[in-house]
Amino acid sequence: MTNTEAAPARERFEQEALQHLDALYRTALRMTRNPSDAEDLVQDALVRAYRFYDRFEPGTNFRAWLFKILTNTYINSYRRKQGRPQESSLEDTEEFFLYNQVKSDAGDNVNDVEDTVLDRLGADEIQRAIDQLPPQFRTTVQLADVEGLSYAEVADATNVAKGTVMSRLFRGRRLLQRALWDQARAAGFTGGSKVHQDVDEFTSTPDGAALVGGARKSR
Amino acid sequence: MITCLHCLQALQPYIDRELSDEDIVQVQVHLEACGGCLHLYQFEASVRRLVKVRCQEQQAPNGLRARIEACLAAEQARREQRRPPITR
Repeated sequence: MTNTEAAPARERFEQEALQHLDALYRTALRMTRNPSDAEDLVQDALVRAYRFYDRFEPGTNFRAWLFKILTNTYINSYRRKQGRPQESSLEDTEEFFLYNQVKSDAGDNVNDVEDTVLDRLGADEIQRAIDQLPPQFRTTVQLADVEGLSYAEVADATNVAKGTVMSRLFRGRRLLQRALWDQARAAGFTGGSKVHQDVDEFTSTPDGAALVGGARKSR
Repeated sequence: MITCLHCLQALQPYIDRELSDEDIVQVQVHLEACGGCLHLYQFEASVRRLVKVRCQEQQAPNGLRARIEACLAAEQARREQRRPPITR
C-alpha cells in the first residue's frame, strides 16, 4: 500500500478529481452544447481546481466544489464566447404535462414511464431535450436531476440562493417535460397509429396472429 | 391529513429528499390514502429515474483523461520552477 501522505498533491488531486470526469464532462456538454468546447472547459476547470486545491476545505463536498469551479470557469471564459444566449422556443406548460399527455396517449392511468412511449427515448434524445432548456434552467436540472446534487449543493455551485434553485428546478422540469414529449413526437413514438402499427408488425408472426386473432374477433 | 393540493406541492421536494422528517410522514400518509396522488407521484419519480439513468450513460471521450493528466503534470512542473521544493 502506498503512503498517501507522502504521495505528491497532484497524484492525490488526480485520484480524487478524475473519478468525477464523466460527470464533469456531461455537465460541461450541457453548458456548451459542443463536444470540443466541453472538453476544453473540463480541462480548464480541472487545472484551476488543481491550482486552488489548497483552498479546498477538507470535510466539505469535493464533488460539489468541482462543479462550482466548472460553473465559474464556464461563466468567466465560455459564456462570453458563445455570445447572446439564443431564446428557447419551448412553450411553458402546466405541471404534470407529461402525465396528462401519456395518459391520453395510452387511454389509461399510468404510473411508470416504463409502460409508455417515453421509455423508448434514448440518451441522445433525452440530452437533446435538456439542451432545449434556457441556460440557467439547463445547468440546474443537469446538476440536480442527472448528477444528483442537493438543492444546497446546486445553490453553491451556481452561485444563487437555495430558493432560486427550487424555482429554477420547478420551472426547468416543467419545460423539460415539454421537451421530452417533443422528442418522443419527433421520433414518431407518440400517437395511437404508430403504436398500433407496431402491434400489427408483432402480430404478423404466425404465433402472434393466432394469439391476438381471438381478441380481435371479440371486438 | 394534508390536502391533495398540499401533497402535490410537496411532491418535487419529496422526490428530491429535501423535506423535513415531519413533512415526509405527512406526504406518505396522504399517498397511502389517495390513489390519484400516488399515481402522479410514481409517474413523476419514474420520469426522474429515466432522465438520470439514460443521461448517466454518457461518458467522457477517450483521451480526455490523458490530456488532463498531461496538463496537470505541466502545471505542477511550472509551479515547481517558480517555487523550488523545500529540501530537508
